[in-house]
Amino acid sequence: MNRVSAIDIRNVTKAYGPTLVLDDISLKAEANEFIAFLGPSGCGKSTLLRMIAGLETLDAGEIHIGGRRIDEREPGARGVAMVFQHYALYPHMTIRDNMGFGLKNIRMNKAEIDRRVAEAARILEIEPFLDKKPGQLSGGQKQRVAIGRAIVKNPDIFLFDEPLSNLDAALRMRTRLELAQLRRRLNATMILVTHDQVEAMTLADRIVVMHDKKIQQVGAPMDIYARPANRFVASFVGSPPMNFLPVSVSEGANGAVATLGDGSKVTTRVKGLTDSASWELGLRPEHVRVSDQGLAAKVEFVERLGERTLVYARLGDGTALTAEDEGLSRVKMGDTIYLKVDGDAAHLFDADGKGYHTPEVG
Amino acid sequence: MSKPFGHMGWRHSLWWLALIALGLIMVAPLIWTLMLSLKSNSELLRSTTNAFHLPYTLENYAAILKSSGVFRWLFNSVLVAGLTTIGVLTLSSLAGYGFARLEFPFRDVLFVVVLFGLAIPEQAVIITRHQMFAGLGLHNSYPGLILPGLAAPFGVFLMTQYFKAIPKELDEAAMLDNASRLKVFWKVLLPLTLPAQATLGIFTFLAAWNDYWWPLISATRPEMFTLTVGIASSQINFAQTSGLGYLMTQAVFASVPILIVYVFFQKYIVRAVAGQAVR
Ligand SMILES: Nc1ncnc2c1ncn2[C@@H]1O[C@H](COP(=O)(O)OP(=O)(O)O)[C@@H](O)[C@H]1O
Ligand SMILES: [Mg+2]
Repeated sequence: MNRVSAIDIRNVTKAYGPTLVLDDISLKAEANEFIAFLGPSGCGKSTLLRMIAGLETLDAGEIHIGGRRIDEREPGARGVAMVFQHYALYPHMTIRDNMGFGLKNIRMNKAEIDRRVAEAARILEIEPFLDKKPGQLSGGQKQRVAIGRAIVKNPDIFLFDEPLSNLDAALRMRTRLELAQLRRRLNATMILVTHDQVEAMTLADRIVVMHDKKIQQVGAPMDIYARPANRFVASFVGSPPMNFLPVSVSEGANGAVATLGDGSKVTTRVKGLTDSASWELGLRPEHVRVSDQGLAAKVEFVERLGERTLVYARLGDGTALTAEDEGLSRVKMGDTIYLKVDGDAAHLFDADGKGYHTPEVG
Repeated sequence: MSKPFGHMGWRHSLWWLALIALGLIMVAPLIWTLMLSLKSNSELLRSTTNAFHLPYTLENYAAILKSSGVFRWLFNSVLVAGLTTIGVLTLSSLAGYGFARLEFPFRDVLFVVVLFGLAIPEQAVIITRHQMFAGLGLHNSYPGLILPGLAAPFGVFLMTQYFKAIPKELDEAAMLDNASRLKVFWKVLLPLTLPAQATLGIFTFLAAWNDYWWPLISATRPEMFTLTVGIASSQINFAQTSGLGYLMTQAVFASVPILIVYVFFQKYIVRAVAGQAVR
């Protein structure tokens, strides 16, 4: 079957002057999919989004939407709507006019504009503000208006550039939930740019992890989390970040056996390793638990988060390691503790940073 | 501020007194002008110190309505200052938008050239300008009075800075809203520059209204005089020993439009002078 992708980005390259920002990026999104571009600040997420919107030109490559090439069309003629990071509401227009501006520009008749604005205002619960100016609204309310301005256009694709980053923590969480609900309701393809992994994990069907001009990995959130393609993805996704321990590797009965600097061994189920000069063992903190036996380590710092406790410790050979303990942990700074490693959940990374994982079952 | 009225009290009072005194000094000539305009010329011939007591008369106002060119000059001033203001606002806005938002060859060099315009005094170019306008046959014409005022580097500079301060996201949002470049400029950006337009407009209008030198040079025929030149030309004799009341009446007439401007734009003028309009 040759299904037409909602978005098809083909070999897109972009440089600002001599600085290459995006290097040969290709990506497809299906209709109604929610995609998150995730990566550290400055990795080119916004640039890629803005190219889809038509706000940046491409140096090379093509972008297709719904099977039609759009990268040379005007921004307004691409069937996309964008929600800007700083909302970009027109300060001198009422909320109603802000939302209707785009429709007026395509000469939609007034009754239909009114109907769409009213509908969007109802969904977003911004009806009381329709005749106010943006300056009279709070950040969260402006955010809704910005989303409303996108909704009324009934676009094929919604583009969000860090839409939650200007909200305080509580509001951000609520808006995140609302965004997820809105998404169910709208049935449109959505692309969200974020540097916040929680946003990406909770909202997206698929995450596109970007770094260093390239797409590092594309996958479902749990896939990215459980099977990071490389060391960068492994370190960027997950909080606190994964532990990386230099190890030497030998073949075992069920998988590779990693030998740590202090001589202790971790038996993993990772298979199919290639030759590599050096290896790193990747362990998420939740897979390194405080126990009464295992790796001996000295506690350097303890963070009590309530439902769990993070223990920052150092092995005998000086390797630093983050481990987890239960909420009511008795571990104190300076204690010597033992850490039990869940080898089944361990990852290995070769000298190039490529990730190797326990084979998927089924 | 809810400072207790301790030793701050008398200090505040002193400030008030000083300000009131300053205010009186500033309005005194204006009141004096008004009073003089209400006295008969023959009485003023004898003494000008009687301006503050009876009898008063409207004879000067009657005389003006009959004879003076002041209405023509008023019309000329309104036209020249008005068109200069509209012209400067239009050109500065377009140029400011261009410098702030468009990419074109030599843009930055050109902007510096505009800024150099700020540093060149009128005195330095007035003879050349006079020659040029003479060559073009523009003296004693409205274009001759208006055109020089349209070269407004300060306006271009101000509007450029102002447009630059408006986030580009607004242009982009409007582009995604299917607005043409013209529409973005007209419907989205220009309304946001209104405070700057007001400041620039007021300064331009006042400068054009008060300009004396160029109209004095360019307009040699009385029907092309502006108010400033016209009133000055009415000072016919040494120290204005006769016809003083008549002259003062013309001055009162001349101030009325500017007074109206002040009344309507007071808010903007205060902001403009306090430098608050430009963020
Ligand atoms: N208009 C521009 N001119 C020059 N460099 C730019 C421009 N826009 C972005 N960049 C650079 O491109 C890189 C990617 O920017 P951006 O896409 O905004 O990153 P992100 O959204 O991932 O934080 C950054 O290094 C940024 O400095
Ligand atoms: Mg960004």
